Amino acid sequence: MTKHLIGLGVLLAVGIAYPAIFPNNLTIAISVLLFAGWATSWDLLGGWNGQVSLGHASFVGLGAYLVAIGQSQFGLAPWWTMAMAAAVAAVLAYLWGWLTFSLRGPYFSLSTIAVAEILRLVAINEEWLTGGATGVFIATLPEPFGVDLFSRTAQFYMALAFAAVVIATIIVISRARFGYQLRAVREDEDSAMAAGIDPTATKLKAFMLSAALTSIGGGIYGIVLAFIEPHVIFALLLSVQIALTAIIGGRGTIWGPAVGALVLIGAGEIFRTTFAEANMLIYGILILVVVLFVPRGIVGELARRHIRRLYAKRAQG
Amino acid sequence: MAGLDIFLQNIANGVLMGGVYALIGIGLTLVFGVMRTINFAHGDFVVLGMYSAVLFNALLGWDPYLSLLLAMPIGFFAGVIVERFILSRVIDAPPESALLATLGISLIIGNAILLTFGGEPRSVQVPYASSTFSVAGVNISMVLLLAGIATVIMIAALYALLNRTEVGRAIRGTAENRLGAELVGIDTRRIHSIVFGLGVMLAVMAGVTLIPLLFATPTNTGAVFTLKAFVVTVLGGLGNVGAAIAGGILLGVVEVLGASYFMSEYREAYGLIAFLLILLFRPEGLFGRTVKRV
Repeated sequence: MTKHLIGLGVLLAVGIAYPAIFPNNLTIAISVLLFAGWATSWDLLGGWNGQVSLGHASFVGLGAYLVAIGQSQFGLAPWWTMAMAAAVAAVLAYLWGWLTFSLRGPYFSLSTIAVAEILRLVAINEEWLTGGATGVFIATLPEPFGVDLFSRTAQFYMALAFAAVVIATIIVISRARFGYQLRAVREDEDSAMAAGIDPTATKLKAFMLSAALTSIGGGIYGIVLAFIEPHVIFALLLSVQIALTAIIGGRGTIWGPAVGALVLIGAGEIFRTTFAEANMLIYGILILVVVLFVPRGIVGELARRHIRRLYAKRAQG
Repeated sequence: MAGLDIFLQNIANGVLMGGVYALIGIGLTLVFGVMRTINFAHGDFVVLGMYSAVLFNALLGWDPYLSLLLAMPIGFFAGVIVERFILSRVIDAPPESALLATLGISLIIGNAILLTFGGEPRSVQVPYASSTFSVAGVNISMVLLLAGIATVIMIAALYALLNRTEVGRAIRGTAENRLGAELVGIDTRRIHSIVFGLGVMLAVMAGVTLIPLLFATPTNTGAVFTLKAFVVTVLGGLGNVGAAIAGGILLGVVEVLGASYFMSEYREAYGLIAFLLILLFRPEGLFGRTVKRV
């Protein structure tokens, strides 16, 4: 655990220095950090608890819309609306999980797509609230302590803080009682129940936490975009991207989703000119490669090799 | 009387549209029933069918129904190849692996179409696109009726295949119990390939019959159809072909009635809401065997 905390400290130190070293590459760094945070939040449910969600864009959208609407229509500062978004996301996750978690099989994954799609339709059609298909525009933002929230540097630090908080949460959970409960439920619900763990309650808690964290990242994303369109933010593709980032990086590992975000956003940036709008092709090919050849993901595979080497050394010595 | 006319009109449209949904849903439910895999690429195969009709029309000037002659066998073999080289390798892995593999296939198909055909919506103009005829005051669109007839023929053929042939018996046996089927000498790997091929073929066929009616776009349409196929199968009960037919028709009617009597903007949402309600009250589907909640 201390090793991971040191890793997080190094990440923070590099992150704090980053805008001074690469002042022109902030936008891509922001997307890496946001995706790292979202994928890690997703992994809390999808990797540690084994419930594959393909609807996490709903929480991203919820956060972004609450921040944008709160600012443009009610003059609420983003930190209040982000806190509200986290609460609303947790409530939504509770209701949604209550509906689907008592069922086994593919029902949860299926329902996640439907819920995200319903939210997208609501966002498109309820024009009085969301600006309809054209979206909402954030024209002004408050300036806490004289910091301009529209500047990329401020947004970078917000994204960094978000990713760091999410990763810190995972580090703590991985060694907490709750983390072991999550994994027990993932491996075998019946055995978990026999050990006195309530699988439905565990899944609900994981989902609520995952949803709340994702929606905070969504709020930051709303500020970064400053212009929120329902087609972009509630898209199934965004949900899929979040899930695949975590899976390609390594499900159920602490650093996997963050590594996945770095690899995938980097690959997307490199192939952006080659494939133009079809850049999700990379995700499709990578996920097939991962499923067929590296089912544990990048970090999971590295960890497995590391452990094997350790055992080999011990057996020799 | 006017109200009744409108109601009958809506029911007719809903049932015909639902027939096509049923066709899409049967492919998904067949694959799930036998392979226990949710095929996330199913809607993209529908879109692939739509584009194959566009392609045959542009190159050879064929009517969509004529291009079925080529599109369906091609779809079948494409499905067999995908199953052989990708899905058969993850069939014994944890269930999410197969799900993720189909998700990857879905992304590859959608974006490959985007690279080939570009992003603008495509369709095929047919001379009978806007012709209708009326029965007892109900106007029925020619395109929908043809799609309905094609659906009925296909379902009948599928029924005959599943219930009257040796392959069909093997498919049903594999669906019921894979190990048992292997013990009595069924090559379940071959059955899996055939079933996935059939699923893709049904999806391609649905796509071709839909193209005179809808515009095809590379990436979004696929997701919409995948979602509709899920709704259809969950409405009826996962893995049950007969129930998928009922689920498809139900979805068609719910969408049309919802759009005409409540808010038309939410046309797509009615099916999804029905889907969530089913999950809440009867997760085994309206016609499925009862499953116990944990």
